Amino acid sequence: MEQNTTDLALIQKVLNGETDQYALLVKRHQRFVFTLALRFLKNREDAEEVAQDCFVKAYKALGTFKQTAKFSTWLYTITYTTAMTFLRKNRLDTTSIDDESAVLQLENQTSAFSANGYEKQDSHAFLNMAITQLLPDDAAIITLFYKGEQSLEEIGETLHMEPNTIKVKLHRARQRLKEKLQYLLKDEVKELL
Amino acid sequence: MNTIEQQLWDYIDGKLNESSKKAIEEKIESNAGIKAQYEELRELNSAFNALDLDEPSMSFTRNVMESIVLAPAPVAMKTKVDKKIIYGIGGFFVLSLLSLLGYVIYNSALSMPKFGFNTNLNFRVDQYITPTVLYSFLFFDLVVGLVFLDLFLRKKVAQK
Repeated sequence: MEQNTTDLALIQKVLNGETDQYALLVKRHQRFVFTLALRFLKNREDAEEVAQDCFVKAYKALGTFKQTAKFSTWLYTITYTTAMTFLRKNRLDTTSIDDESAVLQLENQTSAFSANGYEKQDSHAFLNMAITQLLPDDAAIITLFYKGEQSLEEIGETLHMEPNTIKVKLHRARQRLKEKLQYLLKDEVKELL
Repeated sequence: MNTIEQQLWDYIDGKLNESSKKAIEEKIESNAGIKAQYEELRELNSAFNALDLDEPSMSFTRNVMESIVLAPAPVAMKTKVDKKIIYGIGGFFVLSLLSLLGYVIYNSALSMPKFGFNTNLNFRVDQYITPTVLYSFLFFDLVVGLVFLDLFLRKKVAQK
């Protein structure tokens, strides 16, 4: 709540002409916006471009932001819309990881990974790898729920879905993430977790 | 979809009401399989909570600030809307309603009854209730209603 209040105070300052204060808002939210963009785009360069574009759009539309809502939810909505527009424009391949080609890619990646000796990696690295292998929507929901401190209603607002749909999707996303983790870690998943 | 796993996740997320919470707690206590599943999901939940956020490039903030430097400074919507425009629109509607009311009354051919001491108390009321009179009455009500709504909204704004 304090963070939210501070966001609103910073926004007020920007609206009052102290535009340099916007840099503080950017610094505060850049990691999350970038991560969210990366979940959709699966490419660091594109994610950085989209994340920067989000902050520019948010700045231009800051006057229309209803200060009764959380700034983060509003910003994540912009991120989702911008990432989707970028995907549509660039016609990136965002097909399901369950597709045959994607499975092949995953298998190759795992075997290469095994050859390097995954026992040296910690569980965080495996988790981050597993989440990149999820569908964009699943990865975004997991990220918003666990790292964005967003409620189901707020995630629904961000992704333009009903809270009940988000609840079902979150459940499936967790199951898929668990499967990916187990696939990556095989029998060592329990030990590492 | 209300599998035991879903119920366990809801329990971990704290989304269950008191009765459902007690029911799932009893299941966890009484069933070793469910308890093991619960422990596994709890550990997964802790692991998911520890997920890392990715870091953008070092120049991220600078790039954003350079991109917005030429953009016009954002202004709150409240200050963007000129009050004169609001008053102009309001005035236009009030004038329109009053003109309409005047036109209706002018065309209703109202005539005042002759004043006399021989007051006939047995007059028929229904002869005065014509559609024109009704419309005029409704228009008048509408104008009064709008005036009161305006006063109410002004008070509400002033309270803020």
